[in-house]
Amino acid sequence: MNRKDKVTINKLPTGVPGLDEIMGGGLPEYSFNIIAGSPGCGKTTLAHQFVFANATPEKPALYFTVLGEPALKMLRYQQQYSFFDQDKLPGSIRFVNLSQVILEQDLDAVLTEIIKQVEEVSPGVVVVDSFRTVVRKAAGATTEMDLQGFVQRLALHLASWQATTFLIGEYSEAEIRDNPVFTVADGLFWLYQAVERNSIVRKFQIMKLRGQASVPGLHTFRITDAGLQAFSRTLGLTRQRSKDVTSRRLSMGIPELDKMLGGGIPEGDSVLVAGSSGTGKSALATQFLAEGIRQGEAGIAAVFEERPKEYAARAGTFGLDLVTPQNEGKLNILYLRPLDLSVDETMQAILDAVQKIDAKRLVIDSLAGFEMALAPGFRTDFRESLYRMISALTGIGVTILSTVELEESFTELTFSTYSISFLTDDIIRFRYVEIDGQLRKVMVIVKMRGGDHSKDIREYEITSEGIVLIGPRLRGYQGLVTGVPSQVSLSSQKKPPLS
Amino acid sequence: MREFAERLFAYEAAAATPSEANVPVAFRVCEKLRHSLTTLAGAAGFHSLLLRALALAKREAPSLGTLRVNAAGSLEDVAPNRYNQDAEGGTLLVAHLIELLFTFIGKALTLRLMHDIWPDASFYSLNAEGTQKHEPQR
Repeated sequence: MNRKDKVTINKLPTGVPGLDEIMGGGLPEYSFNIIAGSPGCGKTTLAHQFVFANATPEKPALYFTVLGEPALKMLRYQQQYSFFDQDKLPGSIRFVNLSQVILEQDLDAVLTEIIKQVEEVSPGVVVVDSFRTVVRKAAGATTEMDLQGFVQRLALHLASWQATTFLIGEYSEAEIRDNPVFTVADGLFWLYQAVERNSIVRKFQIMKLRGQASVPGLHTFRITDAGLQAFSRTLGLTRQRSKDVTSRRLSMGIPELDKMLGGGIPEGDSVLVAGSSGTGKSALATQFLAEGIRQGEAGIAAVFEERPKEYAARAGTFGLDLVTPQNEGKLNILYLRPLDLSVDETMQAILDAVQKIDAKRLVIDSLAGFEMALAPGFRTDFRESLYRMISALTGIGVTILSTVELEESFTELTFSTYSISFLTDDIIRFRYVEIDGQLRKVMVIVKMRGGDHSKDIREYEITSEGIVLIGPRLRGYQGLVTGVPSQVSLSSQKKPPLS
Repeated sequence: MREFAERLFAYEAAAATPSEANVPVAFRVCEKLRHSLTTLAGAAGFHSLLLRALALAKREAPSLGTLRVNAAGSLEDVAPNRYNQDAEGGTLLVAHLIELLFTFIGKALTLRLMHDIWPDASFYSLNAEGTQKHEPQR
């Protein structure tokens, strides 16, 4: 069978930002779905978002409430969300209370009532909230086969009437096995929430979705005044086209450093600037951004240890104007510091900013601050998520400069406490050295994946112009990388003549 | 709210069919609301709302003392001659019922639901204070 001969399954928008991408483009039309999870995890809100996104006067939504949250209170609370459009009630969204039928009658009566309403309204969307109550009632009075028959008939009828259906239930994962409800369902969506230290961590999983490929795994989500917002593990970048590799080099804004880098940073590279406190990592980052702006390349700074005003003000002390480009929409300084962010949520904020101004340069200042801004439960995912974001962004040509603070060791040259050199193309290492009774600063290019670079250890200073390299490579010292070099006579460094 | 309820009463009184003429206006209004709100909130939900509204109204209108709310959520008068279609008491009862809906689901949503019951009525044009328009938009 040719692809063109196959039935096309329409995908409906979920109304939840980020969720369509996780679903593989949206929710299959006419599917029979279950939203499961513990109380308070957002099941009803998710269903409401879907309903408000899809209900129309021609294809209204029927929302059956069953014994759980009283309908009036549900409306009282749900209308606080920004997606709640009162204009859709009662014309496009109709709430029907089934509590009395459940309490006083059997499953057949429930089915009859649902069918009656469905045939009367011809809805595009049907929700039963909570279906768990229906199943509990059934469990007390009927056999499992009766329940299976009920679910089967319900699914059949709603599909025949061309309704996309959600059954909402407070299930535990242990109940999945042998449960007829889960067997019949086309889609099974599980919402989790857990307290990890002092933070609430919410996650979403598609356990089953017939007919299309969804993004597997657990995805974080947040509930705000706007309802649920989901953050795909792939950060929505799976369908982004990779940019062709260019040979272009980006200036760091410091000509001497550009020379050390063999002409600058290759476009689309991920650069790590490592060094201890006060060595000038942030100064270099701002010079990198300012140079980009000077060359017409928009930039993003994701800062975690300073507020945007302070960050711009400090750049100002180096003669770099980061205020005007912000006003002109060429620079966005993101301050991301709430302590319960998920990794993907933070990444999404960065990605949105990058895409909004078509940024070519991104600064993450610093990785340690980034990690600390996350809820404790997400810190274990940090490296993996960072890898995904960096890979995706550099893949579309964004050049990333990340800073990382290191505890200085005076015996060895460490590059990062994060073991993240695998996700950096280039590493620039700053460090203090003791020379002639002074604590001075040196830099060295440790790694450049894209080609040759200077092997020199160069001294630099932080002046009113930012980082300034002084002099040629430091000669006459041994052990500079340890921070406590010893002086050697230049003559002893000469190679012995070949015999 | 009282003025709003009075407008609703006046509209409902004028719109009565011959078969409804002997039914107190408050009963008719509550019954129409019951049909609509039972679908939304369930019989028990409407029953409890009307019970609360009646309790509040009785404090101000002792003539409502003979009224009861039956299990289905309908008003009953256990001594019809005493209630005697007390329009003021009935208005109070309806005013409290609508006030409760305003409290729980907000004015806009309540008026939308009422608009479904009385689509052609003109009493929506003023709010409880009689100053601000909040006609449901279609």
